[in-house]
Amino acid sequence: MAALQKLPQLSACMVANEPSSTCKPELVVSDQFPAGLRVLVVDDDVTCLRILEQMLRRCTYHVTTCSQATVALNLLREKRGCFDVVLSDVHMPDMDGFKLLEHVGLEMDLPVIMMSADGRTSAVMRGIRHGACDYLIKPIREEELKNIWQHVVRKRWNENKEHEHSGSLDDNDRHKRGNDDAEYASSVYEEAEGLLKAQKKRRDAKEEDDGDLDSDDPATAKKPRVVWSVELHQQFVSAVSQLGIDKAVPKRILELMNVPGLTRENVASHLQKFRLYLKRLSGVAQQQGGMSSSYCGSVEQNGKPGSLGRFDIQALAASGHIPPQTLAALHAELLGRPTGNLVLPGMDQPLLQASLQGPKRISVDHGVAYGHPLVRCPANISKHFPQAIITADDVRSGLGAWPSNGPGTVGPSSNLGGLVGQSGNILMGMLHHQQQQPRPHHQPQQQQKQVTQPDPSRSINVQPSCLVVPSQSSASFQAGKNPVSINRNCSFNRSSSMDYSLLSSQSNNSSFGIAQIMDGDPKTTSVLNGYPGPGSVSPSMSSCSINAENAANRQLQNSTVASNAARQLPVLAPNVCDFQGSYNTKSGHVLDQGPLRNLGFVGKGTSIPSRFAVDEPDSPMSNLNCGRIYGENNENKVKQEPSMEFIESAKVGIPILQNFSSNDLMSVFSE
Amino acid sequence: MDVVSQLQRQFVDFTTSLYHEGFLDDQFTQLQKLQDESNPEFVAEVVSLFFEDSENLLNNLANALQQQIVDYKQVDAHVHQFKGSSSSIGAQRVKNVCAAFRNLCEGKNLDGCIRCLQQLKLEYSLVKSKLETLFRLEQQILAAGGTVPSMA
Repeated sequence: MAALQKLPQLSACMVANEPSSTCKPELVVSDQFPAGLRVLVVDDDVTCLRILEQMLRRCTYHVTTCSQATVALNLLREKRGCFDVVLSDVHMPDMDGFKLLEHVGLEMDLPVIMMSADGRTSAVMRGIRHGACDYLIKPIREEELKNIWQHVVRKRWNENKEHEHSGSLDDNDRHKRGNDDAEYASSVYEEAEGLLKAQKKRRDAKEEDDGDLDSDDPATAKKPRVVWSVELHQQFVSAVSQLGIDKAVPKRILELMNVPGLTRENVASHLQKFRLYLKRLSGVAQQQGGMSSSYCGSVEQNGKPGSLGRFDIQALAASGHIPPQTLAALHAELLGRPTGNLVLPGMDQPLLQASLQGPKRISVDHGVAYGHPLVRCPANISKHFPQAIITADDVRSGLGAWPSNGPGTVGPSSNLGGLVGQSGNILMGMLHHQQQQPRPHHQPQQQQKQVTQPDPSRSINVQPSCLVVPSQSSASFQAGKNPVSINRNCSFNRSSSMDYSLLSSQSNNSSFGIAQIMDGDPKTTSVLNGYPGPGSVSPSMSSCSINAENAANRQLQNSTVASNAARQLPVLAPNVCDFQGSYNTKSGHVLDQGPLRNLGFVGKGTSIPSRFAVDEPDSPMSNLNCGRIYGENNENKVKQEPSMEFIESAKVGIPILQNFSSNDLMSVFSE
Repeated sequence: MDVVSQLQRQFVDFTTSLYHEGFLDDQFTQLQKLQDESNPEFVAEVVSLFFEDSENLLNNLANALQQQIVDYKQVDAHVHQFKGSSSSIGAQRVKNVCAAFRNLCEGKNLDGCIRCLQQLKLEYSLVKSKLETLFRLEQQILAAGGTVPSMA
């Protein structure tokens, strides 16, 4: 498709059919606003998709089409900051439109407009309740589409106002946390800002507020959005778990978090999102039966297999605006801490089984668990928090020294990747692992406040969930087994997940940074490649999507682990870094391709798999644009060298990547 | 009257009748408006997408209704999809049959559904042949050196 070839040239989004490449950031000028509004359309009906595309083009918008929700989600994750608004059909085979809506709202906070031929009031109400900015009834007319820019503007302005009131958290955060833990949030932010300057400018134009966007101080005046970095979110989660999800009020959370510049409003809106996320998860969890609760309740007891993983990932992702990097970092941090929290309430049965298979899962949990105590079962989140922690510890100890495994862990970690794909196998694995291991060390590492890195003895921490794959064969994991199981899982997933990321990623997976682990596991890697983003795996999602998400998480985890490790886990860091480093280089290449691949096909809803195959060559470039995350993850987290190599291989402006990687993630939030 | 004018007249009359008879509605006009120099074959493209899609849907529907245990949710999903695409291109009669079909699905009325499917197939083939005729006329006009009259 023409679009594919254009990818390298595109700086940001992929345009489905637009040879004329409207992706240029400078496309929009303020007096032509809203021209160039970047719209992502998701509809499984190709007829409607084509018609909408044409209509949107006539509105002078910049259109990207997608016929599968999972693909769209990955695209959004990969190319954060490349879209302004999402138009999605309600009824889609691979994912419910409302689920997509929730994910987008939680992860990217973009305005989402739903569409459906079903015009019943009840359906429309449902859309509104899920948070849709608007609900259009098919057949859609061009005039209706002309107005969608209002939603974008309104949303931005509301956010700005909210932030203004709450003080410039962004500013404070950026400057204060610049060199520390928060460093990457802020520096990422800044860097991302720079990178996205062009885009931002365009956006500013759109917002009719052309003023202050400038690369050094991106969002001070205009973008009041709080950047919920991994650390920040972790603190949030700790605070909430401490208070108890039921009793967590913004004021108290704010006090507990004790983050200067953070306002009650920031916390309140973040809490709202988090609650929604948890509610959704709990819905799934309940289906799973007592899994989550058991998990939550009894970390010691080996909880429930698998439920954690998903939950964690989802929680993390859902909690909000967590850029993949932060998620990864969060994971990394969590690794240090007991990952017990990662209960995934919603794990599917199959997943559980899958996780049972592999130690790998466990490792995933680790990664996943990083830091969201809240992730635990919705029911008792806060209460179980401590327990969860313990679990993590247990797991960790069981796993032993991953770092030592170093490259060896790669294998297992790759399993993780596969696990992820398997819809949160990771978590399952974790749980599983935990179950199997007697919890000798019940280290009550209350994660609640564990923002800091867990003690070095926990080698587990270091490794991103992916890495976690316990080479040690404590109980459930058998290192040796992992690879095997992974493959098994992978294949398992492969057939089920087909869609999108899995297929494409196969090739990429190996190289994918996080996917490194999975080298052996094409499937998993693909998943990872799918997106570096948060592993917001929604239980109800198809395995594919989960895989993608997991993969993304993993990647994040990897990267975050690396970064966190470096920062917070001095002991582990070396291990991790090395590990990561090797990955990075490898993944660097892959990443480029991976993301690209996923992105490439978006164009017309054509079969993605084929796309992937084709895209490879092109991917590096396009990936980079929006796939900064990939680069970022590697870079930021891991030692510099590896990332550098990575970047180079990717042929992407290394400096840019490095700089922007974190920024990219953060910038999304800042936007 | 020269050939071009004749053909154009024919085209206009035919199109008008399609609207009167409810085969097409205003949405089709919207589609025609979307066609421009940068997308000269837009309508034809969309309509052929619709044909392909519809044929799949009709097959799926037939299969679904032939199952031992009919999954009405699945049937409804297909019908919903068909309704969406037919309404998007303006195939009004098809869309109306889909609406009726959905009610039958809700009532899990198998006989009703089967009959409705037949009706759907009929309406679909009617609108298909009408549209094909319309395109042929357009081609003839263009071949004769004329321009296709705008119905907008």
